Amino acid sequence: MTDSKYFTTTKKGEIFELKSELNNDKKEKKKEAVKKVIASMTVGKDVSALFPDVVNCMQTDNLELKKLVYLYLMNYAKSQPDMAIMAVNTFVKDCEDPNPLIRALAVRTMGCIRVDKITEYLCEPLRKCLKDEDPYVRKTAAVCVAKLYDISSAQNTNLGLVEDQGFLEQLKELLSDSNPMVVANAVAALSEINESSPTGQPLVELSTSTINKLLTALNECTEWGQVFILDSLSNYTPRDEREAQSICERITPRLAHANAAVVLSAVKVLIKMMEILQGDVEFCNTLSKKLAPPLVTLLSSEPEVQYVALRNINLIVQKKPDILKHEMKVFFVKYNDPIYVKLEKLDIMIRLASQSNISQVLSELKEYATEVDVDFVRKAVRAIGRCAIKVEPSAEKCVSTLLDLIQTKVNYVVQEAIVVIKDIFRKYPNKYESIISTLCENLDTLDEPEARASMVWIIGEYAERIDNADELLDSFLEGFADENAQVQLQLLTAVVKLFLKRPQHTQGLVQHVLSLATQDSDNPDLRDRGFIYWRLLSTDPAAAKEVVLADKPLISEETDLLEPTLLDELICHISSLASVYHKPPTAFVEGRSAGIRKTLPVRQGSDEAPAQEATVIPNQESLIGDLLSMDLGAPTIPSGPAPTTAPISNVDLLGGGLDVLYGGTELSGAPTAAAPSTTGLLGDIFGITTTPTMYTPPKTLWLPADKGKGLEIRGTFSRKSGQVHMEMTLTNKAMQVMSGFAIQFNKNSFGLAPLVPMNVTGLQPGQSLEYSLALSTTGPVQRMEPLTTLQVAIKNNVDVFYYACQIPIQILFLEDGTLDKRVFLTTWRDIPSANEVQYTLNDIKGSADAISSKMTMSNIFTIAKRNVEGQDMLYQSLKLTNNIWVLLELKLTPGSTTATLSLKSRSVEVAPYVFQAYEMICKN
Amino acid sequence: MGVLFSYFKSLIGAREMRILILGLDGAGKTTILYRLQVGEVVTTIPTIGFNVEQVTYKNLKFQVWDLGGQTSIRPYWRCYYSNTDAIIYVVDSADKERMGISKDELFHMLREEELQDAILVVLANKQDIPGCMSLKEVHQALGLEALKNRTFQIFKTSATKGEGLDVAMEWLANALKNRK
Repeated sequence: MTDSKYFTTTKKGEIFELKSELNNDKKEKKKEAVKKVIASMTVGKDVSALFPDVVNCMQTDNLELKKLVYLYLMNYAKSQPDMAIMAVNTFVKDCEDPNPLIRALAVRTMGCIRVDKITEYLCEPLRKCLKDEDPYVRKTAAVCVAKLYDISSAQNTNLGLVEDQGFLEQLKELLSDSNPMVVANAVAALSEINESSPTGQPLVELSTSTINKLLTALNECTEWGQVFILDSLSNYTPRDEREAQSICERITPRLAHANAAVVLSAVKVLIKMMEILQGDVEFCNTLSKKLAPPLVTLLSSEPEVQYVALRNINLIVQKKPDILKHEMKVFFVKYNDPIYVKLEKLDIMIRLASQSNISQVLSELKEYATEVDVDFVRKAVRAIGRCAIKVEPSAEKCVSTLLDLIQTKVNYVVQEAIVVIKDIFRKYPNKYESIISTLCENLDTLDEPEARASMVWIIGEYAERIDNADELLDSFLEGFADENAQVQLQLLTAVVKLFLKRPQHTQGLVQHVLSLATQDSDNPDLRDRGFIYWRLLSTDPAAAKEVVLADKPLISEETDLLEPTLLDELICHISSLASVYHKPPTAFVEGRSAGIRKTLPVRQGSDEAPAQEATVIPNQESLIGDLLSMDLGAPTIPSGPAPTTAPISNVDLLGGGLDVLYGGTELSGAPTAAAPSTTGLLGDIFGITTTPTMYTPPKTLWLPADKGKGLEIRGTFSRKSGQVHMEMTLTNKAMQVMSGFAIQFNKNSFGLAPLVPMNVTGLQPGQSLEYSLALSTTGPVQRMEPLTTLQVAIKNNVDVFYYACQIPIQILFLEDGTLDKRVFLTTWRDIPSANEVQYTLNDIKGSADAISSKMTMSNIFTIAKRNVEGQDMLYQSLKLTNNIWVLLELKLTPGSTTATLSLKSRSVEVAPYVFQAYEMICKN
Repeated sequence: MGVLFSYFKSLIGAREMRILILGLDGAGKTTILYRLQVGEVVTTIPTIGFNVEQVTYKNLKFQVWDLGGQTSIRPYWRCYYSNTDAIIYVVDSADKERMGISKDELFHMLREEELQDAILVVLANKQDIPGCMSLKEVHQALGLEALKNRTFQIFKTSATKGEGLDVAMEWLANALKNRK
């Protein structure tokens, strides 16, 4: 006998037993067996080996057995992807079963099976179920579409499956279904799909008529359905104020719903609509009044819901302080509130604090400061300090409250109080210094770094008024090495301040601290600061005084407010995790890299921009665009804004001499005649562009001297080693020296912003200066019309000037804009043909290769080149700084000067500007 | 005595007979299954997976498994072989080109250990199509003369017209009854 016997076992094991039971003829036995299998599966045993046997039990009229088998399939289809195909036919049959429960069950299970090979077979049954007569089946199928979308986008192979199969259209039809539950699920599925859209652009936009249907379905839905519908309403931007008003009116009753999620979602929609309706003050006021009671009601639910409500209210209060301004009392802390609710309430109290309610708030806060919970007490003390900074007239009251608290001598209260008093000193210099002596009494009890650092700062800042400041600081220095870094830094600064203010007896002290900081410490910050002070003091004590004792910028309450753009985004996410975290979803949701960044609609009739626009050069078109389109005989730029105004700046091209001539005069109308002859010149001038790599358009006049009070700015944009620059020629045509230059951009379509502050020291009369400003593309974004408009404000000692210029889009083409051939092909196919734009380029010279290499220099990459029927086809791609991909097909006929350009992009709005860029690059 | 014995036998033998319907895709397996079950022609789509139905014929209960015939599914036929009493192998008589593949699949299957005792019925289907192969030609093309130690018979049928199925089932029922 060989040893192999040890490897064969007589015991066939559990799996074998289950297998034979599964193949039993008796239905009861079979069901029992499947139950055993499911039981093993749920406790984590691997029963995937039974896959064929379980699948064979699938065709049964017993609903219970069917459900069990489906459960098994959902779990193991992934581990047996090939074998899973055997289940397809049963699904297909079950989707036509007379029992709607089975039909729905089948379509639901199908959606859960994430197996590449069988996805395609599921489309047909799904299509049928979407049209099923039973609403239960339809609503289940609607969700299944979202699942299918997720599967196909995860697999890549079936990308675009859902769109191609027309499921999106079917989902849209379900939005007008007679059953509200179906509508709600269709909405949920659509928003899910929109959110995971790879381009960040919603795949399905809601129209006015669908919105009306949603609003009708809203009243009859379950609370879940209502939340879904409200959430998608919040993503909708109404056409006009009337529509926004009617939406508001129909949603308002939801505020009385018992479910907190429904209430918050309704609040979200209403706040968003109010943003649009800002013009209608009266309507907004009544709406604001209606918003307060439901929010207050949320605070009487259980603590967890209260917390979520409070986090959301925290945002709402920052955005619209008026809504809850009279409701301060509900945010007063109750003794039995959990700590997380208490802290949140405290935060909101400070935000709501105003002159009218400050005394009430202060007496509450004082009360809180005597509680037992240390964290809460600390926060309460801090709150008093913040109130002092926020509500100026009450500062005195706040300070006296803080003094009272210091008298309690409770250690942590004193320390916290000193920290906030430091801030109060910063905010109101030379007002409350009389309390310094009280503070100094408590010097010995301070043991926390922050409190010690604050105290040291106070001593240093007011060294001239504290008689024994040198002694106090000296006592701190004894334990210098043991102090926390922030205390050490403060000590260093405080001693230097003391020395500068009272140099007579403190020389030894300052030498001592400098040597401690620079020689005995290994903290680089401390050493650096020490060295700087040392050199300052040894070279020029007067300068040192100016630096160290300079006026400090005032602090204000805004420091603990959320940044406005973030706040706006979070307002759009009210009633979601984002609004509880106070972080945008992209910060904590993985896998959805692109995602759609929600922002509030642009205010209508707000007072932000128009005042500036008045001084902006009206609707200035890019000069090049103008000249070229005139050259072509007709405005061939499709869908682009027609070049309306005459380019008052074309003169620059002709050289420096002429603009002096024309500098003061408006040239409207004149260029029409001049243009054709100028084009000839253009070529010559372009030929001598200084940058050999990327084509930079010539400078145009941005700010004429008569509008800039003598300051003339001509400029253009360039791209140098991956960096966008604004190239400017500043000329001073006034009689006085210009200085104090600063530059600022309005929000723009591509988020351009100055990377560094403008560094131009002085401009002598008659002097001309070349300045190149590096720009970042991560600034605030706001869509402009036309897209490439950039509004600039420039300041100097004379005045502030505004002008607008056009960004040539090619400076935004990224260096990594090339695509793999296959990716190019699939992307090209995936972009719907509605997003394709054609354009004809005239006067093309040079071979395809020459053009292609010219393009590459401007970051337009040729992916492939083909020769079809004697025509050269160039397939090109480019990527904009905001990650918009643009794919192009350039068809050149050798010997002909015209070329056809087809463009495809998910954001087809950029097309006209890309065409302009092609024109510019090809012809230069 | 004999009558009584056969009565008992039919009681004991009330066990469902397990029958597989196999064959290349598009041979007419699903149509045959439903012809047997409901007696009507149903519209079918390619079976991606399987169908299983109860068929009663002459007091015999059959559990008939119709397995998809597409290339991708054929490897899984083997999962259904155990305890099989009979195989109905369906051939599209009009599909001369794939007769060879059909033959290979048939013999590949018959080599399986689990099917050594299974009765084989070959149905030369789609006899209604003009220009199709005759029974003899199909017999030859499949190389059935090479079969030894196997109870088998070939019939010509037309599932859509319902011709020949009764004869085949009659023979199959008898063959199953007479099995040792």
